[in-house]
This record gives sequence, structure tokens and C-alpha cells, in this order.
Amino acid sequence: MFIALRDLAYAKGRFALMALVIALIAFLMTFLTGLAAGLIKNNISGLMELDVSHIAFEFDDKPTYRNTMIERDQWEEWAQQPGVKKLEPMGHTVFTARTQRDDPLELVLWGLAPGSLIEPEVFDGDQLGGVSNGVIVSNLLVERDGVQMGDTITLDRVLTELVVIGIAEERNIGHIPIIYAPLAKWQEATYGPPGGPPPGEKLPDVVFDFVSILALQLEEDVTPEQIVAIDDELGTSTLDRAAFYAASTGYIEEVRTVQIIQVFLFLISAVVIGAFFSIWTIQRTKEIGLVKALGASNGYLLRDALGQALILMAIGVVLGLALGLWSGQAFMQSGRPFMFESDKIVQAMTLLVTAGLLGGALSIRRITSVDPIIALGQEQ
Amino acid sequence: MTLRAENVSLLLGDGDEQIKALDQVSIEIAAGELVVVLGPSGAGKSSLLAVCGGLRTPTTGRVWIDGTDITGLKPAVLTKLRRDQIGFVFQQSNLVPSLSALDQLLLLVHMQGRKPRADDRAKALALLEEVGMAEKKNRRGNQLSGGERQRVGIARAFMTDPSLLLVDEPTSMLDTQRGHAIVELLRRACHDHKVATMMVTHDRGVLDVADRVLEIRDGRLGGASEDATVEMPRIVDAAH
Repeated sequence: MFIALRDLAYAKGRFALMALVIALIAFLMTFLTGLAAGLIKNNISGLMELDVSHIAFEFDDKPTYRNTMIERDQWEEWAQQPGVKKLEPMGHTVFTARTQRDDPLELVLWGLAPGSLIEPEVFDGDQLGGVSNGVIVSNLLVERDGVQMGDTITLDRVLTELVVIGIAEERNIGHIPIIYAPLAKWQEATYGPPGGPPPGEKLPDVVFDFVSILALQLEEDVTPEQIVAIDDELGTSTLDRAAFYAASTGYIEEVRTVQIIQVFLFLISAVVIGAFFSIWTIQRTKEIGLVKALGASNGYLLRDALGQALILMAIGVVLGLALGLWSGQAFMQSGRPFMFESDKIVQAMTLLVTAGLLGGALSIRRITSVDPIIALGQEQ
Repeated sequence: MTLRAENVSLLLGDGDEQIKALDQVSIEIAAGELVVVLGPSGAGKSSLLAVCGGLRTPTTGRVWIDGTDITGLKPAVLTKLRRDQIGFVFQQSNLVPSLSALDQLLLLVHMQGRKPRADDRAKALALLEEVGMAEKKNRRGNQLSGGERQRVGIARAFMTDPSLLLVDEPTSMLDTQRGHAIVELLRRACHDHKVATMMVTHDRGVLDVADRVLEIRDGRLGGASEDATVEMPRIVDAAH
């Protein structure tokens, strides 16, 4: 890179401007990657934390968490299927609610068996099971909505009262914070009469024969064909992890939007770098002809120019990355959905550099067509 | 004989637009000999230089450099030949803009696939000293005058110890005094380094440095001038 390095010093204004453009693209890319990860976490952190391989919904072409109901017979038969390591019936209902201070809340009530594999670890308070209406709340409710340990939360319409006994890390689904309740309390709130059973009476048994979904831990050797066969037999639709994430409201749309922006940024990077090096190469045509006449091979000049593009990309990417990490940190501290995932950022930056180099390479190949005869003032 | 061209013709362009840039040209130049090829614009001077320097392939005829027939060589081999065996001095503006005077010379070492070492640097400095440019070794082309750029170009041409030096209109952008100083420098360098040198020019004021002068007109070498408006010299035999 004998000429490349000296060119960078010689035309530093032009290269600095270009590095700045690359830095801005890298900044946007870093920020978007963090924002995408943050949005995903904000949308489906509750699902991400589930230690399960599949979730079974009521049969539907496009299963959703809001429109699914599974009967006791179904989950008891599912549990008997070969390859099922663990099965947990779960309830999922979206509620609006109020605290005793009359603060409005929007929440997802998940019902689960206390001590089951889907119960989250609390960092404050107690696990489920000690109190029949005791619940664990997502930390988002504490930090954003001011819910406190010991608060009573009353679900609108059904008037079920829940008492906060534990606080877990932030867990959401569809951007709505989750409250984990004992399965029976969830069934009572979802299928029972408003306000619970009349004094001195019990709810009918049928209330407790329904859940929303089945959280499954299947053996690794269970094939998709076997799962489809079970679904056909039991009237369920079973989704693997990627699919049960996608079943969360808005998840696919959010991920796709960010991905489209990222793809555009890759393209913009390739085009901008390509255009810059295209103009730069045209400006250098006479110089390239001269150096070729002196005995430089195409390979020598291409390596030199590609090295120059790589240095330019590297400087721009490092600057943009630093700016992106710094501003992302500030964004995150302000409570907005943002998360750094080093592997995804490294992947995005690698793709950005590759796209830039590809654009540069397409422009730089013009070097091979420069005829050294122009050094003698003759036409090609 | 370092350079030998035999019955070289060069056709340029296509169809009706085709012109004969060189017509049955033969020339020989020995090591340490400075041959000036004189001719007006469009006479075929640069074409002769291009063919002898492996920048153009003649339509007919052959060219040998140090006994190697370069006529049918592949482009990659010709590139290597230019790098290792031929020195070029172009018109004054032909320096790489981003390189200092010293780097113009070291670039040729780098092009040979190795990092310039201390002895390469010493050699480059000695060559710059020889052309009176050592003190301005760190200046780029745009910080040098036309004559200074030409001096750097001459030093660069000798960096790889070429056996053949091809010089293109070295005085075209210089005043008479500076132009003469440059060709005098070339003569001295050609003789000191024992390099076969072909200098093409339209400037009759530089003929006194030549060991031999050949006239080119309409692509033919050695023909008498038929153009009354341009006073062409007769072919001058070398003083060997």
C-alpha cells in the first residue's frame, strides 16, 4: 500500500469527508442493531426466558397467544406422547388493571403451576405458591408503573385481586409486562365469574379444565413430522422457538422493519463507497497510466486501491461504532428499548465493511482497463 | 545492441480512420549511446517510443531489448520488462501527485515486490543528488518547478538500473535554458550509467547532446524533410 497510504495523507480532506460518511452509516447500523435487539427483548423477553423447545397452541393456521384454548384432555394426552420430556399447561390473558392507588396498568397474566420450569426466579420477594393470589411481576411494572412489593392489583372487569409477592427481571410479551400467577388463579380470572365465586361456594371444576398453551420440552430427536402427527391427532399447532417468538403480536413486523433498514444501509454503504472510489479512480486515471507504464501490474494497483478502501472503511467503522455505542448507552439509560449484543454488532460491522469493499472493488476494477499508453499523452 | 527494432510498422485506428503511425522503421541503439529522434508533432515519435517500450505491439516488424524479442510477449511479461529493464522519462507533469521526490524513486522498488531497504534509500538519495534534487527529496510534485519535476523523473528512470532509457519530449514545458540543462543532465546520466537512450523531441535546440540524431516524419525514420515550414536537420551521424 505504498501509494494508498500516501494518497490518504495527500488528499486527507477528501478521505476525511468520506470516512465521516462511513462513520455515520456505521453509527446508524450500530444504533439500529442495538435498537432491534432492544425491541426484540422488549417484545418477547418473557418467551426468550422460557426453558422450553416448543409451545403448543390450539389448532390454527396462524396461532396467536390471544386466541388459543387447550382442554385438559389435550394436554394430558400430549404429556403421554413419546419424546415429551416436560409439559407445562400455561394461561395467557391480556388485562387492564389498577393498583390500590388507582394507577392504571396494562399487563399480561400468565398462569402456571408454582415451581414449574416456566416460573421465573425472583430477585426480590418470594416464589409462587405461598399465597393463592400471590403473583410475581415483571420489573418493568416496578420501574415504569411504580408497582411495589405488597401492592394489590385488581384486574378490570373480572375484579380478581392479586397481591405482589415477588419481582423478577423484566419479562414482556408483545411489549406488555407479564404478571405470573398460580394457574388456578389465572383460570379463575379468565374463566370464572367477575369477582370470583359467591361467598361459601367453589367454582365449578370445568373452569380448571382449560389453559391457553402448552410449554413443551421435547427430546432433540423428535422430528417435525412426528410433531405434525401429534398436532393432527390432538388438534393443536406446535411451534418451535423461532415460530413461537414470531407468534407474538408485532414481533415479525418490528424485526422486518429493522432488517429492511439494515439492508438499505448495506446497499447505501456499497453505493456510496463505490461512487467515491469510482470518482477517485477516474481522477487518478492519468496517474494510474503513469504507474502502469513504469511497470506496476494490475494486481499491484488493485491491492493498493483495495487496501486504501479497507483502511477508509476501518476508520469510518471504528468511529461510527464508538459513536453508536456511546449514544446507545445513553439511550439505554433513559429507559428506552436498546440492547448491545456484541455478536450481532460485529456481524453488522463485518457486513458493512464487506458491502463497502464490494462497492469499492467494483469501482476499482476500472484500474485494469487503464492503458499505460496515456503516460505518453496518447489515447487508449 | 541494447535496442534493436526491425521493419516496425504500426497502424492505429479502424477502417477508413486507420493511419500508419510507423512505417517500416528500423533502429539500433547501443549501451551508453544517446540517440535523439527529431520530428514535428504527429510524426510518429511517441509511437516509436511506445513500441520500443512495450506499450504498443507493432503491427509488423520486431523489437529486441537486450536480445529478447518483446514483440509477442504477454502483457504481464511486458509489464515486468518495463519495470526491470526500461527507464521512462515522461513530459514534466508525470510524477505521482501524492509521493515525495524520494518516494517517486522508492515506488519502483516497492513495485518489484519488496519493501525499500536502507540501501535502496541510499541509492535513491544518490540519484537525487546526481540530478541536484537531494535537498528537495521530501517535496511533492506540486511543490516543485517544471525543471525540478523533470530532474526527479530522470532520477526515477535510473532507479532500477535499466538497460534502455526512453525519453519523451523532456523540454516541451521548459524554457530554453532549463531545457538545455535537462538534456545535458540526461546526456551525462546516459553516458555515466551506460544506458542506451532514445530521446524523442521536436526541439532542435537540444541536438548538440546527441550521439546520433534521426529524423522522423510521417512514421518514417531517417527521411528528409519535405515540409518547407519546418526546418528539419539532416541526419547526423554519431561522433563515435
